[in-house]
Order: sequence, then structure tokens, then C-alpha cells
Amino acid sequence: MVGLGFQIDLFVRILPELLRGAAITIQLTAFSVAIGTLIGLFMGMARISHYKIFSVPSAFYVEFIRGTPLLVQIMIVYYGLPALGVNLDQYTSGILALSINSGAYIAEIFKAGIKSIKKGQTEASISLGLNYMQTMRYVILPQATRNILPALGNEFIALLKDSSLVSVIAISELLRRGMIVYSRTYDAWTPLLGVALIYLCITIPLSRAVQYIEKRWEIHD
Amino acid sequence: MIKKKTEEKKSEKTTSTSNGETIIKMAHVKKSFGDLVVLKDINLEVKKGEVLVVLGPSGSGKSTLIRCINRLEKIDSGEILVEGQDIYSEKMNVHELRTKVGMVFQQFNLFPHMRVIDNIMLSPIKVKKISKNKAKHTAMELLKKVGLEDKYNAYPHELSGGQQQRVAIARALAMNPDVMLFDEVTSALDPELVKGVLETMKELAKMGMTMIVVTHEMGFAKEVADRVIFMDEGYILEENEPKELFENPKNPRTQSFISKIL
Repeated sequence: MVGLGFQIDLFVRILPELLRGAAITIQLTAFSVAIGTLIGLFMGMARISHYKIFSVPSAFYVEFIRGTPLLVQIMIVYYGLPALGVNLDQYTSGILALSINSGAYIAEIFKAGIKSIKKGQTEASISLGLNYMQTMRYVILPQATRNILPALGNEFIALLKDSSLVSVIAISELLRRGMIVYSRTYDAWTPLLGVALIYLCITIPLSRAVQYIEKRWEIHD
Repeated sequence: MIKKKTEEKKSEKTTSTSNGETIIKMAHVKKSFGDLVVLKDINLEVKKGEVLVVLGPSGSGKSTLIRCINRLEKIDSGEILVEGQDIYSEKMNVHELRTKVGMVFQQFNLFPHMRVIDNIMLSPIKVKKISKNKAKHTAMELLKKVGLEDKYNAYPHELSGGQQQRVAIARALAMNPDVMLFDEVTSALDPELVKGVLETMKELAKMGMTMIVVTHEMGFAKEVADRVIFMDEGYILEENEPKELFENPKNPRTQSFISKIL
């Protein structure tokens, strides 16, 4: 009855191993969100461009990524790309797949963020002689970024959880370490519940932080 | 009263060049939004140093008219010349045009993430490539002119609407424009804040700035305008000196409009 079969002593023993996995998970997520933010910034701007040469490819990218499972995307990058002569190690493949994936979602966030800035801001800026890029850089994006920071935070949390999918290409992140312990001890319950617990310990403070930012900036406007 | 004012203006305008010089010319300008024709056949000339007030009921095309002058709106046909140059010609750089034609909006449109001083300095630094020190110096002088030098470090949301609008005027002036467009700049203000903004605009007129002012402030029009035009349904129906237009409107629609607002 002790913890419904959850073996504390086993959990304590495997904790360092799981934490090493958690570190990889965080690392993967941080890299991917950083690259994804860059992709998302440009794709989001392209999405609302008046020039079809930018908006159409961007729309295609976003639709493709959001309309297909991340698991499939990971497998395409890892197993599919070598067919084109591109051989990447697991870790790079994982980051690439996650970045491209989060880029599409972040593009939508940026698109909404840019659109949330009133038209008057653009008009004031261009009526002062600033061009489109200057207007974006000095007037629109600083305000938009501020507005979308909570959404970006939530995307980070979502991706952190989704990154567990790269365990299928044998990256020793958190879930994969749990599975290794399971195969070693034949106890699935303790390591997997432990894995879930560690995910929670990361995501709860993060979502609190997002809430905090949201609240603080609400007052300031 | 009006005569005295014009004389005053002339004497103050010794530095500016010839008074009769046309700075803006609109010929047969047409503009529509979808099926809605907003400007039907606009012909208008504005002289250097002139203060032109644009009157008319809402939806008459007043704002659209001035927004065409700095190409915030694209006209469908006709011609607009600013300082003799067709603003739609190939060699016209739209960003350069906009540095010559300053604009102030109904909703102020200050940049909320920048301090007052940075709002004013942004364009001189980024567009005119003026050094930061020089831009700051000019900005402080302009703030002094609009009576807000102590607010240079404030954020827009810390200011009243009237103060924000005066900062917006200073921001437009920082580009040293030849013409200023005012688009119902007091309409979003609480009544007690209107006066300060109008005072600032009066000062500007006194200094010989060419101004096109869309407004409902009849007092301002009477006191400051050299000429008033009345617009309705996309046409300029009447234009005259303010005194004449207010006391002796010719067009029946001008008459009914004037009788309603005075």
C-alpha cells in the first residue's frame, strides 16, 4: 500500500540519472525555442506581408507543421533526411525537428502579436519618415514582443513536454532515462511516475512565472 | 481682429520665403474605399505660411483629404504636388515626402514603450541620421516650446491626453517639416485639455508654419485660419476667409452646417 507501489528507495537511487535526463530535456527545449523564435519571428512577419513571395511559403510552412504530428516530423528528420544525403546525429536531429515545429507555432504567436498593435502606431511611425523595417524594429516589434511574452512562455512549456517524443530517436532525455530504468528493473511504475513528477517540477514554476509576467504587464498598460 | 492677426503674421514671417508660393496643390483628386467614393473631385491650393482649416460633417472626407497629402492613403486619380513635385512620380521618395509633411493624429499615437524624449528623437536619429546629442538638444527645445520640458523622461501613459498631444506635435516638428497636417487633434481630448493644444497650434501658426487643420473647433478657425474650406460628400463646397464663411455662408449645406455648430 506504500504509495500504491511507488518505491521511494528506488526512486531516490535513480533520481540522479533522471535529473541528468531532465537537464538534457531543458537544454533541448531551450535551444529549440531559441531557434524556433528566430524562425517564428521571420515567418510571422512573412505571413502578414503584402508580398505573396513571402506570405505563401510561410503559410505553407505553418500549415504543414501544424497539420502533421510532431512524432512524424521527428522521424522524417532523423530517418528521412539521410535519404537526401543529410546525416545528422540524434541530438542535432532532435533540436532541428523541435525548432522547426515550434517555429510554426511561434510564427502564429508573432503574427497575432504584430496584429495586436494598433494601426495608428504604424501610421505615426511612417508619417515620421521611417520605412517598413525601421517601423517594425523600433516601434512594432518591441511592443509586440512584450505582448506575446506570456504566449512564448506557454509555447516553451508545451515544447518541453513535447520534447519527450524525441526519446524515440534514442536521445537520453528525461523520458528515455525512465524507460532505461524500467527495462533494467522491470518496474515501470516507479521510474515513469518519477519522470512525470520531474516534468511537473519544471512546468509548474514555469507556468507560475508566465502568470506573473502576464499580471505585471497588465497593470502597466 | 482677423486683419490684425494677418498683419502680425506677415511681420513675423520675414524669414520665410515668398508668401504667394504654392506649397501644396491638389488637382482632380479622387479616392474611394471599395464602393464608397470618399473624395470626388478635389482641387485645392495651399500657400506657404497659410493656415487652412477644413470643416465638414463626419464622413465628408476631411481626414482622407489630408491623409492623401503624405500618402497614408493612395489616391485613385488626379494629382497632388508638394513643393512642385508630384508625390506619385517615380523620383519621389515617400519617406522623404513624409519628413517634409508632418502629421498629428486624433489618437496621439505616441510610442508607449518609449520615453517622451525618445519618441521625439527616434525619427531625427534613424531617418535624418542626426547625432544623438544634437537630436536631444532639438527635442528639449521643442519640449520647451510646447511647455513640457519637465516631462522629457516620462512615459506617454504618465501624461494627460493634452500633454500627449503636445508631445506628438513636438515629435512631428522635430523633423523640421515644411507643412503640418492636423487630423482632429483635439477630438479625443477632455474639454479642459483642448485649450493647451490649441495654444500650441496658435504659436506654430504665428511662427509661419504652413498648416492644414481638420477640426471642429470654430474658435480656432475664426481666430487662426487664413482660409476655411467646407467639405461635404467628397467635394469642397465652399472656401473663404473664416469671417466670411461663418457669417455669410453661400452654399445651403454650409449654411445648415454652420447654423448647427455655432
